[in-house]
Amino acid sequence: MTAIENPKTYKWVGTRPIRHDGYDKVVGKARFAADLNLPGQLHAAYLRSPHAHANIVSIDTSMAEAMPGVKAVVTGDDFPALDITDPNHDVSINVLARGTVLYHGHAIAAVAATTKAEAQAAAAAIEVEYELLPVVLGIDEAMADGAPLANEQNYQKFVGPSDPSNIATHTPLERGDADAAMAAADIVIEREFDCAHVHQGYIEPHACVVDTGADGKANVWASSQGHFMVRAITAAVLGWETSRIKVTPAEIGGGFGGKTTVYLEPVAARLSEKAGRPVKLVMSREEVLRSSGPAPGAKLRIKIGATSDGELTAIDGWMAYQVGAYGDFAGMVGAMSVASYKFPNLKLESWGVLSNTPKTAAYRAPSAPHAAFAIESVIDDIASELGMDPIELRLKNAAVEGDLTAMGMPHPRIGLVECLEALKASDHYQSEPAEGASRGVAVGFWFNIGEQSSATVNLNEDGTATVITGSPDIGGSRASMALMAAEELGIDVYSITPVVADTEAVGFTDVTEGSRATFATGKAVVEACRELKVELCRRAAQTMGVDEAEVEWVDGAAVSPSHGGEPLTLAAITAQAKRTGGPLTATASLNAAGAGPSFAVHCADLKVDEETGQTTIVRYTAVQDAGTAIHPSYVEGQMQGGSVQGIGWALNEEYIFSSDGVLMNPGFLDYRIPVASDLPMIETIIVEVPNPSHPYGVRGVGETGIVPPMATIGNAIKAATGVRMTSLPMSPPKVLKALGDAR
Amino acid sequence: MATVHLMTQHRPLAGGAAVVEADGATVGQIIDDLDRRFPGLGDALRAGSSAGIDGEIHAEPEFVRVQPDTVVYFVAPLTGG
Amino acid sequence: MSRTHITCTVNGEDTDFLANPGTSLLDALRDELGLTGAKEGCGTGDCGACSVLMDGKVTCACLVFAPEAQGRDLMTVEGLSSADGVDGDHLHPLQQTFLEGAALQCGVCTPGFLVAAKALLDHNPDPTESEIRYALAGNLCRCTGYDKIIRSVQEAAVQLRSAT
Repeated sequence: MTAIENPKTYKWVGTRPIRHDGYDKVVGKARFAADLNLPGQLHAAYLRSPHAHANIVSIDTSMAEAMPGVKAVVTGDDFPALDITDPNHDVSINVLARGTVLYHGHAIAAVAATTKAEAQAAAAAIEVEYELLPVVLGIDEAMADGAPLANEQNYQKFVGPSDPSNIATHTPLERGDADAAMAAADIVIEREFDCAHVHQGYIEPHACVVDTGADGKANVWASSQGHFMVRAITAAVLGWETSRIKVTPAEIGGGFGGKTTVYLEPVAARLSEKAGRPVKLVMSREEVLRSSGPAPGAKLRIKIGATSDGELTAIDGWMAYQVGAYGDFAGMVGAMSVASYKFPNLKLESWGVLSNTPKTAAYRAPSAPHAAFAIESVIDDIASELGMDPIELRLKNAAVEGDLTAMGMPHPRIGLVECLEALKASDHYQSEPAEGASRGVAVGFWFNIGEQSSATVNLNEDGTATVITGSPDIGGSRASMALMAAEELGIDVYSITPVVADTEAVGFTDVTEGSRATFATGKAVVEACRELKVELCRRAAQTMGVDEAEVEWVDGAAVSPSHGGEPLTLAAITAQAKRTGGPLTATASLNAAGAGPSFAVHCADLKVDEETGQTTIVRYTAVQDAGTAIHPSYVEGQMQGGSVQGIGWALNEEYIFSSDGVLMNPGFLDYRIPVASDLPMIETIIVEVPNPSHPYGVRGVGETGIVPPMATIGNAIKAATGVRMTSLPMSPPKVLKALGDAR
Repeated sequence: MATVHLMTQHRPLAGGAAVVEADGATVGQIIDDLDRRFPGLGDALRAGSSAGIDGEIHAEPEFVRVQPDTVVYFVAPLTGG
Repeated sequence: MSRTHITCTVNGEDTDFLANPGTSLLDALRDELGLTGAKEGCGTGDCGACSVLMDGKVTCACLVFAPEAQGRDLMTVEGLSSADGVDGDHLHPLQQTFLEGAALQCGVCTPGFLVAAKALLDHNPDPTESEIRYALAGNLCRCTGYDKIIRSVQEAAVQLRSAT
């Protein structure tokens, strides 16, 4: 799709080669964790809690251990107890419960047996005596004075010594005088919103194979967004040194933030250790939905004040995120994610609140979608009341470089205005909606992060190259590494093999999350390539018989004005490597700073069937600032994928809990994500406002796409029906009820 | 002197101030300087803060070198998914 | 429990394997025949990641008991590059357009989509966009938003029609 012209042009960056790992994926050869089989492997199954909150009085595994095919059984007693202040304490008691179960589906024990059926039968034969405890489910319920505790070991973070509570975090953010500004505003709109839990919905369930050898070393193959994180957490939970564990990342079948923590590997490792055989441990879809981290539910109250000519002068917001049974950080981010408008006066607070449900995990941009749903809905109502075009109102207030985020920091160079202008100029926005359809727009923001990455670039004897990184590829980043290396070295992208290597074969690399891979790992790749080019020039200088300072790297070859002959190509230099000094290889490691924020603006035309409450999207456009799109097809893919996840979040997806805290829809039939027939094409417009802190101007793009869709659709439903939907999902029964209430 | 912007939840520890001045060649030294004047603020800042310096966010700001007239924003740690 | 001996045709070749009566065809394909292209995404026939062709009809292998495959003609994604006159050394047009059109990101749903798309084009060589979307509505993808998948199927349909 059309992109706003990047000021720079490149030879390889910005092209669309077939991704190197694609062939194996279309012929069925790509190895995901559940595809791997080791000789002699056992299969494992869990016993999970049937109660949402209970003390474990006793566990008797004796019957299970005697059952056919059973080779090992583990419970929480097989793992060291970590101190409550240990950063891995919560994950260690989540992996297998210790003394208390905190949500329905909490793992209590696991069995390894020669077949899965035998393991499941034995797990069911484990006898557990429970003492039931009060179940805490709702946000209001959890925050009420005298509320029972969802987790008696939870202490509010960052407030010093305190009593256990149902509060994980409280994050207030303030500037200016919101109360005074609100009182002086010409128009004030206040609304309350609520959002159900949703799940990332990755198609591949969590899976691993672990082989703990007689030497006490564990070989792990895992489906994960970060294998160094898997190694670190597995070591901590087992009480082992990190060097005893090697983790190889299998191909990962979707993560979206849900695979940034550990559920299976320590259990599989301990089972393997006890049984003396490899153990394969795979979650069922039901286990994924019941027991892995969904995105938080939330309640929000947003009040915005504006002048009669559309200047947004004040925002006052209260946000509470239901983060599950452990004190997750998710509740902090909602307020922090307010960054799209100047808002000279701002008073926000966001809370993380516990409940007896699984610990939440990130879902693309964690907690920002809820905040954006609420804020963009209120802004849209203000535009509507003032009779202003929704894009014009947003342009009038859009944050630019130097404006402050809610966190108080000034924005670096950002591209929100460019995205708004791009949507305004687009064919979609310039066209009338189709007959019977109405339109909505909304804005989204995500910070993006940097963090640690390592890369090794090896030049092979024949002038091809291997680029080795430690970032699991969840969206096409391998291809982007090869493209950046091709640009740096000046060789064909297919002369480069990008590899995601195991924890023993590449330097430490943080999790692929926060839209960091193309940015931070890309930086490491570029740095390694640049180091190589210096060395290549030095080798060429030797061969050419000229001074090193007179050699330059141009278009994949060493050239020197002092050398009358041909440029020395990379292949010519690598062929002489042994003679000129040895192997040609470089490694770079960094803790990347300067991640550039990515803004998005979405537009939806839709129809609402007033008899059924069903919403049909007829046209959808996503505009997003990618900085520089290294591989535009995969940038578009991130934008489209995030949009459709947001559409599902907006229109249909929700966790439905019983009053006992049991998930009633733990399958893809009743937790229904969008399918192809629900959707039109998702048009994309990539805006390129390069990030000055990356050699190619990259901004991460993976997360922002999920932030605007719910408000985009809510605003279009308002335009279609006159009704402001404030509760997610905006599913047919709820739309019908809202239409009925409005009459 | 560096100009330091504090998170809302840390302002009570600095007598309610949102912006304070501090000395130091690195962010860690700035934190130590603040802790000398506002006991307890150092631990609070080290417990969970990233720092925004010259438009870049540093997740581990302890040893980041700063200019004499730098502006430092302490912000909550960021993640992603 | 003794295992049943099943003989069938898989990807054009006579094949046989053993399986318990309660074992799914999906598990048999993956564990007995080493054909791990078909994936288990849900085990309940809701996601389509296990799609195979059984006597030309797209089927969720997780919903079929292995003994039901007795005497049947099965195609998995591994057999796609020998179908429709493709010689096995090249990719099927669907595989090629999926690669060129970036119709896959993580790739875990891709085998299921390729099989389902083949079944569609076998029955309807000139489908409209809507027909493609409804034919593929039984295959879940969480990465792509379906846009590039639909376009790739459209392009493959053009190529297949022009080849005949």
